[in-house]
Amino acid sequence: MSSRSSISKHTRSILPDPIQREAYWRGARELLPAAPGVFAWGLVTGVAMVKSGLSIEYALIMTFLAYAGSAQLAALPLLVTVAPLWVVALTAIAVNLRFVVYSAAMLPHLRHLPPSARVGLGYLIGDIGFAKFSALLEREPNYPHRVAYFAGGASCNWVLWQASSVIGILAATTIPVEWGLALAGTLVLIPLLVPFCRDRPALAGVCVASVVAIMGHGWPLRLGLVAGIVAGMLTALSLERLLQRQSAA
Amino acid sequence: MGPSDAYLWIAILAITLSALLTRAGLLLWGTGLRFRPVVQSALRYAPACALAAILVPDLVFVDQQLWLAPSNPKLLAGLASCLIFAFFRSMIGSLIGGMAVYWVVGYLFAG
Repeated sequence: MSSRSSISKHTRSILPDPIQREAYWRGARELLPAAPGVFAWGLVTGVAMVKSGLSIEYALIMTFLAYAGSAQLAALPLLVTVAPLWVVALTAIAVNLRFVVYSAAMLPHLRHLPPSARVGLGYLIGDIGFAKFSALLEREPNYPHRVAYFAGGASCNWVLWQASSVIGILAATTIPVEWGLALAGTLVLIPLLVPFCRDRPALAGVCVASVVAIMGHGWPLRLGLVAGIVAGMLTALSLERLLQRQSAA
Repeated sequence: MGPSDAYLWIAILAITLSALLTRAGLLLWGTGLRFRPVVQSALRYAPACALAAILVPDLVFVDQQLWLAPSNPKLLAGLASCLIFAFFRSMIGSLIGGMAVYWVVGYLFAG
């Protein structure tokens, strides 16, 4: 693959250590099975941006700068109707609140890095990259090159997302979204979720998170999503503590 | 009257900064924080709960209406994906199988 060798040259300057570089490519490789889903979701987002009335130029600028699919979609109707800027910013923050949880989970692993690397890796945080990183830590808690692994997976996700968004933006009128492309973006999350359902606390957390997210589906700013995540985490934690106390008694 | 160029630029920058703040704010300014073990335990469940909270509503809501019945093609597609992955451990297989179920069921029920 000729394109890969030129990218390799680039990673060589950022990751001088060949073992780190190997971990980077491992992260990218292990994200690839999710590629069809990422790609489908990027296409749908690109199409939605143009169909909602944003011009092609601004849709492109937005996807490359923001790199936040759900926040972009939530902000679109506000932009088109010239809503106050603070409403736009608040909406983007609310819709992205789950990333605060993700970054809290990643903080212990990134603490030692320089600020620029922390911001760069933070920008790359997304649902799938975070899920793959967490799954790696479940399997190999002491894997020393986990940051490079995350960087590889997350930047692979970035490339897939941007490529598909650009195609969606440029070909908005010809892409048949009614074939259920958005569903492909949803279904790809299932294989990511299954490995985490390893014990009763996790299963209970998943159930409560789902039910609360369904109940809060109509809430503004996708706040039902955050409520579901927090409720699920609290449930899992409580059950974990309860089971520990029972086995200790 | 539509949005001006200046408005769109500033709004896009606002979205960018907001998105960056949620993802990198804690990483940039929170390095001094040391979470209690109980918080760390809770955070271990974050990926499972987040994936469920994103994906399950997507499967049970069709056109903003809750549809919890075996005739919901999205729900059936999700169940098929889940079963295929549980048995074959194939991510691509579970995606293709789920989409196939969605198309077939949608076709059958749409008449």
